Amino acid sequence: MTFDPKAATKEPPKKVVFRVKRYNPETGKTWWDEYEVETYRGMTVLDALLKIKEELDHTLVLRYSCRMGVCGSCGMIINGMPRLACQTQVAEVASEARPVVTVEPLKNHPVVRDLLTDFTAFFDKHRSVKPYTIRKNKEELETGDMEFLMTPEEHSELYEYTLCIACGLCYSACPVAASDERFLGPQALTYVWRYVADPRDEAWQERLEAVDTEEGPFSCHFAASCSAVCPKMVDPAAAIQRLRSALIKYRMGLYKKKKIARKAEPPKEFKERKPLPPEAKLVEGADLEALEKEPPEIPVDSLLS
Amino acid sequence: MGEERVKARALENRPGWIASINPWVLKIKNNPERVAFVLHRVTGVLMALIIMAHIFVTGTPARVGWEAWVEEISKAHGITAVTLYFFFFAGIAWFHGLNGIRLILTEFFGVCIGKPEKPKPPYLAPSLKACQRRLLYLVFALWAVLWVLTGYIVFG
Repeated sequence: MTFDPKAATKEPPKKVVFRVKRYNPETGKTWWDEYEVETYRGMTVLDALLKIKEELDHTLVLRYSCRMGVCGSCGMIINGMPRLACQTQVAEVASEARPVVTVEPLKNHPVVRDLLTDFTAFFDKHRSVKPYTIRKNKEELETGDMEFLMTPEEHSELYEYTLCIACGLCYSACPVAASDERFLGPQALTYVWRYVADPRDEAWQERLEAVDTEEGPFSCHFAASCSAVCPKMVDPAAAIQRLRSALIKYRMGLYKKKKIARKAEPPKEFKERKPLPPEAKLVEGADLEALEKEPPEIPVDSLLS
Repeated sequence: MGEERVKARALENRPGWIASINPWVLKIKNNPERVAFVLHRVTGVLMALIIMAHIFVTGTPARVGWEAWVEEISKAHGITAVTLYFFFFAGIAWFHGLNGIRLILTEFFGVCIGKPEKPKPPYLAPSLKACQRRLLYLVFALWAVLWVLTGYIVFG
């Protein structure tokens, strides 16, 4: 998803109408409610929804936590596109010509109530691909004092896939997941490739064989909507194509993991710490060693009075 | 416990097969690949139907005789049902074939999808700015040109 860095500096329309899709699980009814909200510069859609909940309608149900695009809880469909409500500025989605914002629950996830969706099946798929490092020698992971060697090039091959926050936007946008609920989905398959590409992981064969099913990467048809909506630039579409390509090569006997990271040896000798050069000192002309020996007295009383 | 409590149930919220024929079931920006995905599926189904009809049509000489068949086909000039059928079949086949080449490159060989990179503004995923996107625009352009040329040959 592309972000407009200047969106937060824009002034949204003074009053914006929020059309929110509601659902009552006890009556099975779905309907739209409209709320007029007074906005301010820098207001996000999540801020607006919380203002609605506090001031206009306490019964509105939604999920959120960090408010800063880290936890991935507040995914919803805003003006027809899956987005994180906390990362979406009202000024981005509403204009003076059309001061209306529609908010719906994420598609492809069952709706529990209003904007709250059930991620149980989504996380079950996530768990099914074993999203953790596997080593043949289990002690290497259990002792916790191991370090595996990896070059910056190898790290850059998988870094963007490690940024996934499991917000479910990619799964909501996927047209294959829309028609086939067994499909593992972009998020889980990205995790498979993330560990297949990771030189620290040794279970790449088991991972490839586990996803060589109808629910695996062969069900993807590269609509690339997952990459277009991802708020963290994870690029699941490319990960799935790489995984599928590797799987085909593996079945033809042409794919082998380039390298398995070896354990780093403890340093043989410790070098003495060099003193900092004068230009690296915090304040020009300050003698840090002398200050450490004789800390200056801070006149707290005179500063407070 | 007087009234029986109504059992709460989650709402199934999948667009289903509609997502395979309507690229705008979600209004995702910067995603022409989704339009190509829908067109590829629709043209694939149409091609399967047309090929079945084609098998029936090519069996016609066996039923009506070769001379009658040639005579009927030789009348296919200008805008007739037969030329329109060939024109639309060509349009469907051109798109499916051209887009198929792009998909073979990206899906099976894993090329033209860019290299993984560290996120930086404007935070656009590498696969959306890689050469597959230029290939997709080329597919749309070639599709239009070849379809027009086919029309010129069929109706000309």
